[in-house]
Amino acid sequence: MATVAPGVTTGPYHAVLDHIHPEPTSFIRKYIFSIDAKVIGIQYMITGAIFFAISGFMAELIRTQLLSPNGLIVSSATYNSIYSMHGSSMVWFVVIPLLTGAFGNFVMPMQIGARDVAFPWLNLVAFWIFPVAGVILFSSFLVGAPDAGWTEYPPISLLGPPGTNLWCIAVFLIGISSTMTGINFLVTIFKMRAPGMTFTRMPLFVWAQFATAPLSFIATTALGAALAALFIERVFGVPFYDPKRGGSPVLWQHMFWFYSHPAVYIMIIPGFGIISEVLPTFARKPIFGYKMIAFSSVAIALLSFSVWAHHMFTSGMAPWLQLPFMIVTMVIAIPTGVKIFSWMATLWGGAINWKTPALYATGFLITFTYGGLTGFFLAAIPADYHEHGTYFVVAHFHYVLYGGSIMSLFAGLYYWWPKMTGRMYNEKLGQLQFWLTFIGFNATFTPMHWLGLMGMPRRVATYDPQFTFWNQFASISSYVMAAGALLFIYILIDSLRNGKKAGPNPWGARTLEWMVSSPAPYYNFKKIPAVLAAPYDFGNPLPYLGLEAAPGATEATPTHSSHPVPTHL
Amino acid sequence: MAQRVVKPKTNLGPGFWPVTAFIVLLSAVMVYFVYTSPMPIGLVQAGDPAPTVDELFRFLGAVAACIFNLVTIYTIYFGIVFARPKNAPPNTIGVQIHDAPVLEFWWTAIPTILVVILAIYSTKIWADLQNTQGDVLTVEAIGYQFGFQFRYPKLANPVVNELHLPLNTPTTIHITSRDVIHGFWIPELRMKADMVPGLITTIRVTPTRAGEYRIVCTEFCGVAHSKMYAKAVLESQQDFSKWFAKQGGASGGGGGSAGGTPLALGAGKADAGQTLFGQKCSACHSTGPYDQKQVGPGLGKLFSDPTHPKLVNGKDVTPQNVAALIHDGYQGDMGVMPSAQVNQISNSDIANLVAYLASLSKK
Repeated sequence: MATVAPGVTTGPYHAVLDHIHPEPTSFIRKYIFSIDAKVIGIQYMITGAIFFAISGFMAELIRTQLLSPNGLIVSSATYNSIYSMHGSSMVWFVVIPLLTGAFGNFVMPMQIGARDVAFPWLNLVAFWIFPVAGVILFSSFLVGAPDAGWTEYPPISLLGPPGTNLWCIAVFLIGISSTMTGINFLVTIFKMRAPGMTFTRMPLFVWAQFATAPLSFIATTALGAALAALFIERVFGVPFYDPKRGGSPVLWQHMFWFYSHPAVYIMIIPGFGIISEVLPTFARKPIFGYKMIAFSSVAIALLSFSVWAHHMFTSGMAPWLQLPFMIVTMVIAIPTGVKIFSWMATLWGGAINWKTPALYATGFLITFTYGGLTGFFLAAIPADYHEHGTYFVVAHFHYVLYGGSIMSLFAGLYYWWPKMTGRMYNEKLGQLQFWLTFIGFNATFTPMHWLGLMGMPRRVATYDPQFTFWNQFASISSYVMAAGALLFIYILIDSLRNGKKAGPNPWGARTLEWMVSSPAPYYNFKKIPAVLAAPYDFGNPLPYLGLEAAPGATEATPTHSSHPVPTHL
Repeated sequence: MAQRVVKPKTNLGPGFWPVTAFIVLLSAVMVYFVYTSPMPIGLVQAGDPAPTVDELFRFLGAVAACIFNLVTIYTIYFGIVFARPKNAPPNTIGVQIHDAPVLEFWWTAIPTILVVILAIYSTKIWADLQNTQGDVLTVEAIGYQFGFQFRYPKLANPVVNELHLPLNTPTTIHITSRDVIHGFWIPELRMKADMVPGLITTIRVTPTRAGEYRIVCTEFCGVAHSKMYAKAVLESQQDFSKWFAKQGGASGGGGGSAGGTPLALGAGKADAGQTLFGQKCSACHSTGPYDQKQVGPGLGKLFSDPTHPKLVNGKDVTPQNVAALIHDGYQGDMGVMPSAQVNQISNSDIANLVAYLASLSKK
């Protein structure tokens, strides 16, 4: 134990970190079976992006089908498989791996001043399960893809095509991967923070991963059990869910949602973390209400375990049992509201540098608030009696999943892209891409609220002609979103080929990942730095000791240590 | 001498108060519209509980509109006035504040109060729905791939894909399914329940507005899910009686609730029991052997099955015990069977059923 700064001592773990393993030189060990969390993070990113492209394409097929009330392009059976695979893939193979596996691996170890995650080999295994599971999932198209929605409610899923078995295996595997990552991150955050980085000095993205990790491995066990039972019933005929043979279809719903509601927060809390990094950096201000944002993530994670049955208000559960679930669901709005107000207050009084990540973070604020408010409509039981199983639900969860999770993913990717590649993207095109996505998204999903309230059920391949106009409106708007996605691919390729060199810290950010060169060196930090304070004080010198200054660092050094009002007012 | 603390000038930003006034005004206008529109979600109210549920929609809509205006307009406003000017040096920073405990207290406290109000209000409406009067007419709705079947008391045959309900009659609908999970939704009544095989869910409605409405399946149920609709015909008591008579019903409306006659099993007629079995029991029970289960066991050899000498409730298979089981209903490992009262079976009906079951076992 050595004292590295006043009040900061190294623990036994950090005392032995003088030795650095040499970087592997073979292509395979460096890029394919790497144990470097940054490489694994980028591997997650690429794999997730491929699945995102496939499921996004399926989304466009869905919208194209619904251009006509009679269904424009495919049969009902094919349509059912397409939307089921779209949902399954987006949830388990896009949003969760990207927010935890990709950004968690790439950003989190650097942000806590560690050289890697706690279990690099476990990390390697967790990653490689992901593409294998993905291939299993999509190969179900060869034998008849699952057709009962991403929720696969029995008994209909018991009668589903053979691909449903592959679906069980694929989702089970991705659950194992998710569990491994959760444990890995939790141990990493507990044990490997740089000396002096107390919990209240952690960047908020780390707090978000810290709140998410236990959800990943506690909730996923319930899903694993449910999937195993479904598989056993389908293959060996043991009746867990079939009511004709003494099973209970509602049992699946309980098990499934006991996982899938916490999973909703696995899909959004890391997004909260990204927003909490992006907003202070571009507003040039400390994040407002650091502790409230950090603790509210943990509060949301805890509450998320006791709300699952709000998906089941019409499923025939005892009426009195509905009430506690409604109340806890509504209570979640309080910590979420605190976050939203804190982010607004972070914008207030800033000197906002309107780059693409900041646009996405602000867009997130608006769309996510909208999605949260429609969540209230669904939480109120009598209103849910009307809305359950309709397009209102579809609109709501796309607002929180696309308007929340995917918007924050875009924000994070634009934000950390220079760190990943060492190159800048084309800012003008980035902003155009934001507007295409933001406008296209809202125009696609807002009308679905009306469709649902007016009587259009979800998961239909054809619909009543009275709903034609708004369906066509949504479909055409979805092409605007698709144009945004295609432009995004172009922006990334263009950046790799022609992008300006980014330098270590193009945004003038203050968390530790920006203190090293871009792309980051193999072992992140030659010497583990000591941390003296939380990272967001733009008015103060950087709170790190012992960092070897990255070559060409352009950290903006403020001239005044405190400003009562923004300098330009 | 104590130094005077100079509070920094709080500059909320140019035009903060006009923007706040705009938010308040816009929210007031939106709340006004939400509360004065006759149909807050743009869909007619064809009966109870639509008006009650719509009151909740109004309240939720009003609250949501205010919060959404607040967040969106302030965010856009902050984004504009606090944008870094083009000519500002790159190291310009914003106000270096970390917290404002008073502000944070209020923006935690006010949403908490709001949540409490919303929860109480939703609970009140929920309780109203639970306490609604139903039982004047009782109908059973059974979903199957891909249609709806409706059974009325004193109507020999089920009606397919057409639900007729008399106006102003509190009606209880018992809902279940024969195969997979379906949904039962009449948007104009704002009421829905899943049709779950092996479970009976109950909703209560009172139609008030004549017309033909759609019954929509809202749970994915297979390849023709998109086409699974039925017609709900809400009509005057006279029209309903006419229709009911045409269907072969004994009397219009009115619940055929359990009569007061004692369980005189000897008077049971097997042929009457057979008709009744088709209406009341066959959704869940086959007339095959025990293992030919649908929801409950097959009843074809109820009195003559050596492998199942006991009833599901553990009692001996005697006519009296069977009659008691039908009368009281059953809830246990096997699932749920509604009581005779819920099933609208009178004591003489029970006697007929027992006679019929006994006749099956003799074959």
